Amino acid sequence: MGNSTPPPHLRVSRIHKRFGGVQALTNVDFEVARGEVMALVGDNGAGKSTLMKILAGAYTADEGQFWMDDRQVTVNSPNDAADLGIQIVYQDLALCENLDVSANLSLGAEPVRPGWGFVPRMLRPIDELAMEVKAKKATDQLEVRTLKSVRAKVGGLSGGQRQAIAIARAVGAESSVVLLDEPTAALGVAQTGQVLDVVKRLRDTNHAVVYISHNLREIFKIADRICVLRHGNNVATWNIADVSADEIVVAMTRGLDEGSDFAA
Amino acid sequence: MQPESRPSLVDRLRELRQTRFGAFVPVLLALAVIWTYFGLAVPIWEYWTNPDAESLRFIFLSPRNIYNLFMQSAVIATLAVGITVVLLLGDIDLSAAATAGVCAALLGVLVLQGVPAWLACLVVMVVGVFMGAAQGLLVAYVGIPSFVVTLAGLLGYQGLMQKILPTGNLNIGDPFVRSIARVLIPDLWGLVLAALLVLLLIAALLRRQTLRRAMGLELDTQIVVWGQVVFFAALVFGAVITMNSYRSLPLMILLLVALTALVGWVTTSTPFGRSIFAVGGNAESARRVGMNVRRIRVACFGIVGLMAAIGGIFGASRFGSVSYTAFAGGSLLLESIGAAVIGGTSLFGGRGSVWNAILGALVIGSLGNGLDLSGASAADKLMFSGAILLLAVAIDALSRPPTGSVR
Ligand SMILES: Nc1ncnc2c1ncn2[C@@H]1O[C@H](COP(=O)(O)OP(=O)(O)O)[C@@H](O)[C@H]1O
Ligand SMILES: [Mg+2]
Repeated sequence: MGNSTPPPHLRVSRIHKRFGGVQALTNVDFEVARGEVMALVGDNGAGKSTLMKILAGAYTADEGQFWMDDRQVTVNSPNDAADLGIQIVYQDLALCENLDVSANLSLGAEPVRPGWGFVPRMLRPIDELAMEVKAKKATDQLEVRTLKSVRAKVGGLSGGQRQAIAIARAVGAESSVVLLDEPTAALGVAQTGQVLDVVKRLRDTNHAVVYISHNLREIFKIADRICVLRHGNNVATWNIADVSADEIVVAMTRGLDEGSDFAA
Repeated sequence: MQPESRPSLVDRLRELRQTRFGAFVPVLLALAVIWTYFGLAVPIWEYWTNPDAESLRFIFLSPRNIYNLFMQSAVIATLAVGITVVLLLGDIDLSAAATAGVCAALLGVLVLQGVPAWLACLVVMVVGVFMGAAQGLLVAYVGIPSFVVTLAGLLGYQGLMQKILPTGNLNIGDPFVRSIARVLIPDLWGLVLAALLVLLLIAALLRRQTLRRAMGLELDTQIVVWGQVVFFAALVFGAVITMNSYRSLPLMILLLVALTALVGWVTTSTPFGRSIFAVGGNAESARRVGMNVRRIRVACFGIVGLMAAIGGIFGASRFGSVSYTAFAGGSLLLESIGAAVIGGTSLFGGRGSVWNAILGALVIGSLGNGLDLSGASAADKLMFSGAILLLAVAIDALSRPPTGSVR
């Protein structure tokens, strides 16, 4: 990547978000370019998930602007984000355990059979077979090998399988931005490797990827840049080549100013 | 289609249990137990213990009684189908029976005023939708738990019914209204209809199988396909033949089945239905994938209101009268919630089916009918129904997937 910063594909600036008495994000700027993996780190409660949910339209920011390829856009709902090609894997996965894998993979975007134009879309018959074909393709791609059938209920799957399903849902949709919120936290070594492969594949197919993790070793393996949040504030954004693990840890835990004060 | 190893009988049964019809097994077992008890065990016991008895008398299992059982259960079933829809959301409707009462009373008054009965029925159905949707608005947009909103609705609508019917009773002689419960489908037509339904199911299953093969998707085994057909055929023909051997298939039952098929199709096969299950399973995920959770809630409460209104019409037709105790003030509410839950629909949302509600209504109806026949007191009936309901809810709680986080 070198030191030149690629032009951002998705950029937000001056994001503020408050939950009752908690100021979760203050004046946060964030960006990610196509073909790069931007790591987002920070302590628990730093506001990482909140920022991702705002990017995905699950929360609306109290203040702030969005740009997509230098065009100003508004993201006020998950549908807005999906229309802009933004997909997210939530930290809590957000799967419906009572539904099967294939239903979860198409949730909210069920394909319907043609020829029912005379009724509202919500009341047209779902094309279950197309849905299953899509689900099979998505899970095969991720090599969820242990998955017996896309007709299995998600409630009966293991943590790793669920994680894979959640990733498959985000990756399977038409997207240019993929946000992954701690996708490897619950996984073993082999499955973590699979997820990292998916992330690399996304980058190589010119997606803009945001990757949240507490594992700096993973981040050094795949990230191009890293953005540090602390108490809902920007601390720093670096090229990964220009920074050491120690510097990142200091920035996460003490912030840069306090860190240098401390050193002085 | 060659299985690698011969699956054991148990495996095959398990496979069947996973199918759409497999979900009927527990409630059908409950029905079988109740019918065996009242239909066989009680008469045989009485014959043995009573030396004066001339012959065995199987009153409970007589076609006449089964026919009445279906008719008695029809109103419960109509409400239970509606209640199932809100249960799927993870909500509850305690006002359904009171809504049915208001609608039936309104129907009676309108017909008495000379409004054409078909128009009165339509008006009452629209009113029912509004009565339900109004509560849905409070649940969805104000954020009051449905239990509280519909409890208030129950009280309010009970009062409303008393206002509409100050005497608490009104006879309805209108031929159109009465015809719903009185018109019978000729025996032959009933059988033709049953045969058509079975053929339709076979055609649908085979078509699906062909498409699946063409698309390279996993196939259902032969035993699953034909098991479903045999099961469905036995159910449909069993019901039609039994009713034919007393009178014939009543129009009301046909209407109930058609309505249930419609609601069942909407809940299982459309994006709207999928969103009901999604909200019941994980409302936050549903919201995050862009579903309009609030509108879905309001729509579902509208549906339960509509089904309650139709239940009111059915009841008015069957009894030829509207009374406070038959609807708003009686046991109808708990019987229909009980029917939905006994049918296997979860009180925790996201699991269940409207067809099961019909079978659940038959269980409740059979229990009441059987206890009546064996001369049990009203007190016994209440205690029995309570025990059965408790059992169903306990099974529901125990069969919740253990991985499901307690929210
Ligand atoms: N829905 C919410 N309601 C109230 N407070 C919230 C909500 N979501 C997040 N917060 C608060 O916002 C802050 C940031 O949380 P979060 O974004 O989840 O942090 P991170 O993902 O970095 O661990 C925390 O103090 C958290 O308690
Ligand atoms: Mg988080």
